[in-house]
Amino acid sequence: MAQEMTGLGTGGGLLGRLGEKVAGAGAPKVSGKTGPLGKLYLSQLIPALLLVLVGVVTIWSASLTISEARFSSHLVGIALGAVLALLVWRYDVRALSGMTTALLVVDCLLMVMPHLPGLGFSAKGMTGWVQIPLIHFRFQPSEPSKLVTIFLMASACAQYNGKIERFADYCKLCATLLLPLGLLVVTDLGTGLVILFTGAVIIICSGAPSRWVIPTIALIVGTVAVVIWASTVDGLPHLLKQYQLKRLMVFLDESIDPTGDGYNLRQAKIAVGSGGLLGKGVGNATQAGNGFLPEAHTDFVFALFAEQFGFVGSVVLLGLFAWMILSTLLLAMRIDNPFSKLVLVGCCGMWTFQVLENIGMCIGIMPITGIPLPFISFGSSSMVTQLVAVGMVQSVWRHRQKAA
Amino acid sequence: MDLSLVIVAVCALVALALIVLYIVFGRSEAAYTLDIGGGAPRAAGGSDNSSETTFSSRLVGLAAVVGGVFVALLGRLWSMQLVSSEEYAQQAESNRTRTVTTAAPRGRILDRNGAEIVANRSSLTVVAESDVSDDEIEMQILANLIGMPRQAVYRKIIDSTEGAQSKRTVSSDVSRRVVAYIGEHPAIFDGVEVLQRSQRSYPQGSLAAHVVGYTGTVTSEQLEASSSDESAVSYQSGDVVGQAGVESVYESVLQGIRGEQTVYVDSNGNVLDTSTTIDPQSGSDVVLTIDSGIQKAAEDALAQAMADTKKRGQDAVGGSVVCLDCTNGEVLAMASAPTFSPSIFVGGIATSDWDSLTSDSSNYPLLNRAISGQYPAASTIKPLTAFAALDNGIATPESGYDCSGWWTGFGEAYGMWCHSKEGHGWLDLQGGITMSCDVVFYEIGKGFSNSDNKEGMQQTFREYGLGSKTGIDLPSESEGRVPDAEWKWNYFTTSSDADREWHPGDYCNISIGQGDMLVTCLQMAQVYESIANRGPVYKPHVLKSVRSSIGDGSVIDYNVTQVSDIQENEAYRTLIEKGLNGVIYDESESQAAHWTSLDVNVSGKTGTGEQTSVGRNVCWMVAYAPVEDPKYVIASNFDGGEWGSTTAMLIVRDVFGYIYGQPDTATTDTSSATQD
Repeated sequence: MAQEMTGLGTGGGLLGRLGEKVAGAGAPKVSGKTGPLGKLYLSQLIPALLLVLVGVVTIWSASLTISEARFSSHLVGIALGAVLALLVWRYDVRALSGMTTALLVVDCLLMVMPHLPGLGFSAKGMTGWVQIPLIHFRFQPSEPSKLVTIFLMASACAQYNGKIERFADYCKLCATLLLPLGLLVVTDLGTGLVILFTGAVIIICSGAPSRWVIPTIALIVGTVAVVIWASTVDGLPHLLKQYQLKRLMVFLDESIDPTGDGYNLRQAKIAVGSGGLLGKGVGNATQAGNGFLPEAHTDFVFALFAEQFGFVGSVVLLGLFAWMILSTLLLAMRIDNPFSKLVLVGCCGMWTFQVLENIGMCIGIMPITGIPLPFISFGSSSMVTQLVAVGMVQSVWRHRQKAA
Repeated sequence: MDLSLVIVAVCALVALALIVLYIVFGRSEAAYTLDIGGGAPRAAGGSDNSSETTFSSRLVGLAAVVGGVFVALLGRLWSMQLVSSEEYAQQAESNRTRTVTTAAPRGRILDRNGAEIVANRSSLTVVAESDVSDDEIEMQILANLIGMPRQAVYRKIIDSTEGAQSKRTVSSDVSRRVVAYIGEHPAIFDGVEVLQRSQRSYPQGSLAAHVVGYTGTVTSEQLEASSSDESAVSYQSGDVVGQAGVESVYESVLQGIRGEQTVYVDSNGNVLDTSTTIDPQSGSDVVLTIDSGIQKAAEDALAQAMADTKKRGQDAVGGSVVCLDCTNGEVLAMASAPTFSPSIFVGGIATSDWDSLTSDSSNYPLLNRAISGQYPAASTIKPLTAFAALDNGIATPESGYDCSGWWTGFGEAYGMWCHSKEGHGWLDLQGGITMSCDVVFYEIGKGFSNSDNKEGMQQTFREYGLGSKTGIDLPSESEGRVPDAEWKWNYFTTSSDADREWHPGDYCNISIGQGDMLVTCLQMAQVYESIANRGPVYKPHVLKSVRSSIGDGSVIDYNVTQVSDIQENEAYRTLIEKGLNGVIYDESESQAAHWTSLDVNVSGKTGTGEQTSVGRNVCWMVAYAPVEDPKYVIASNFDGGEWGSTTAMLIVRDVFGYIYGQPDTATTDTSSATQD
């Protein structure tokens, strides 16, 4: 696959030229290694591709018993994502570094799309979907909005070149993050948390002094506590819906919602735990196969994976994620361009949080939210988004020698 | 276990691999000259050096956070998938397996020839949890579906007679359509389910209802008893158990053993596969000594007598018949009127049905009068009185008596009528039995009052089994009463001392089976069994054998038990037997007319007693045949008729008529009937 990608990856595109124009004509320094492989950052690409492969096997096993897990549509998602990733890889993402305002507008637009008449689509239990009229193409705008937010925050923060010295600047950055987030959090709390975490990581890594960051975190924690508390007390405004509240609290005590999320959580834990050292083998998952584990192909996909492949499989999966994230982080440390650096930081933050939240939810150490496990969960919006993120990392690598 | 060692090794390998990867890639990266010639930052301020250190320190911090996240996840997975894995595996297994118990069919109850009296059939039953009664709409839909009023559904659901936790039976024998509808709409019918239950069926209707008894849902007392007693059958709530008659006495053999099946299910409870199955073991069939034909003849005769007597304006309250095989104590027929249909208990008896079965106005149809009804023995006791008199020297075979119809043995003030007020004239003891002359027995009573052995008469009665239970294998048997001086003094505690004392007149009363004397129909049948057998008495029983649940053999055969062998002087026996034979053929022409149409030689005794407390007569007939080699003893009593010869005798004759295929052809005229 890597060969194919390099085969396609010749010549510059419109965006690439635009990037060159914007950046000015700096003399490119060619590094030691040349040829097609030099254009690929293999230590991030290999684990990402292996994760996609793990996802293919897992969703294939899910498709045996779960009719909603359509294996073909999973493959279509991968194909679409691969094409988009290739395009992104070809172009220099640094072209976006100066477009803060435009990115903010796009981000806000994505957030409000599901609420626009004629675009918003809702079916049983599904919120935050958009259906493009005429072609009936459906997707979740909150997924691409993660990437837009990464670009937005990277673009906004890169201006300070690693040192935010004025409190007003810090506030401005926080506001830039929170404005679109406020629009999203109403419909999709899970993705909202991913974006919040990702954006916060970018702000912190771009040099926000700890004397401001720590009170901010304290403020957020305090606010969340107050919101939760207010939602449980009669008479005060219930900012969180009852089901959201239960989801947040149920991982501490399954008996809060024994027939809903408490049941789901218990079944997920049983699935993970009963996998044991080596797992039950592909297609032998009794928890997911017999319908005890709900959402086994989406939110609780890790439980399905862990039941089939056991502790050994879980270690391999976590190893692949760690490999991918740390190699991206390594690249971020070596890249000089602040924008590129922060884009990589954002990707790391997104992946880390989604892995923590999704796996943590299945094993009872995180609240239950509906966010997918990158590269593994069934769902094309997520798959395309994650593959484009891989393309972003690869693009940073490919254009590393060019002057920003 | 070496498992943890393996895990440590695996983790170490993974950690090593990660470190190697890092070093390899780290080194290869180091070979590159990264982009260091980047353009100047747009923002003012901040030298390159300081920004580099800020960035790298923050990124190292981020790497630490990422590392922390993975360590936390790994730690948790370690504890779940390795340390507690067994526990979760068990939960996963119990998640997908269910144990389903299947009720075992009860054993059948057969008559001596193998004809089914009680059998089983399967029935689809709608049951509901008790809280369904809170849902008006659900009850209304259910009521419409089953086709009964909502109020009736409500009453069924709130009825907790089967226990507070029980599923309430709403309707039995529902149609497939109802079953399908409930199955297809689980959301509407929350707490309602359809169970396949094996139910009692009665191929011969209410035949022998009092003998076989009935079944009902296990009571909380029975549940408690079964759980505390290791050897007893262990019941589950909702089990059907015997509550009366043979169903109750032979519960332990009739009740089968529940089957158990372990099945794999999906999250909706659909059965995917079967793991292990233990088939239910059905209860054993019980073969009774009852002969369906004789039983039916007895019940028909009893019902006919009830109807006829009522038609004549009598207050006919009830009656009973017992037919024994006097050679071994087998009960060939046992009937009691009024009767009931055991099938109304199937699937739970309605409160209104229960109320009517236990009310005074219905004359207690559930009472088995043959063993539980206690009545004065009346003239049927006279053979025993005669034996007592002969044995104690009160009378001899040659003794003579003169009956004028009015007896003044204790003085004119204490004069007593014979049932024949015209008097029987000159009689010997044999004639006294044949003509049932009360005066003869008043004399015997007076004789005992003057005798050295004042309780000689009661001793004889008790020797023949009166005043104690026969020990038949049926519940609720009464023991009757043989009164004596001690009993009378202790019984009438509120009366004056004079009234509590035993008077000479009391001898006369019990000598003709009156006064405080009480017997059951079965006891009298047993008395005549001894007379017919010339001594031996066998324990009466309804169980013949218990059939093996597999194959045709029997696992239990009833062992005939002789309870006594009463010794009497042969000459006395001959006298009594002749007297009893005379009752049938010599007492009166109208009486003999009923019996001469029967080829078999019969002996017996009729009787009519007064029940002063209720103002009704109790009519008796006890007879045995063939006289030469006795086989059958039939006893009948009838509460509320005119005379023995107009009620009980006709019943006994009809039963003999069935046995020998020679029905009674004579008509009955109450005005000319023998009045004793």
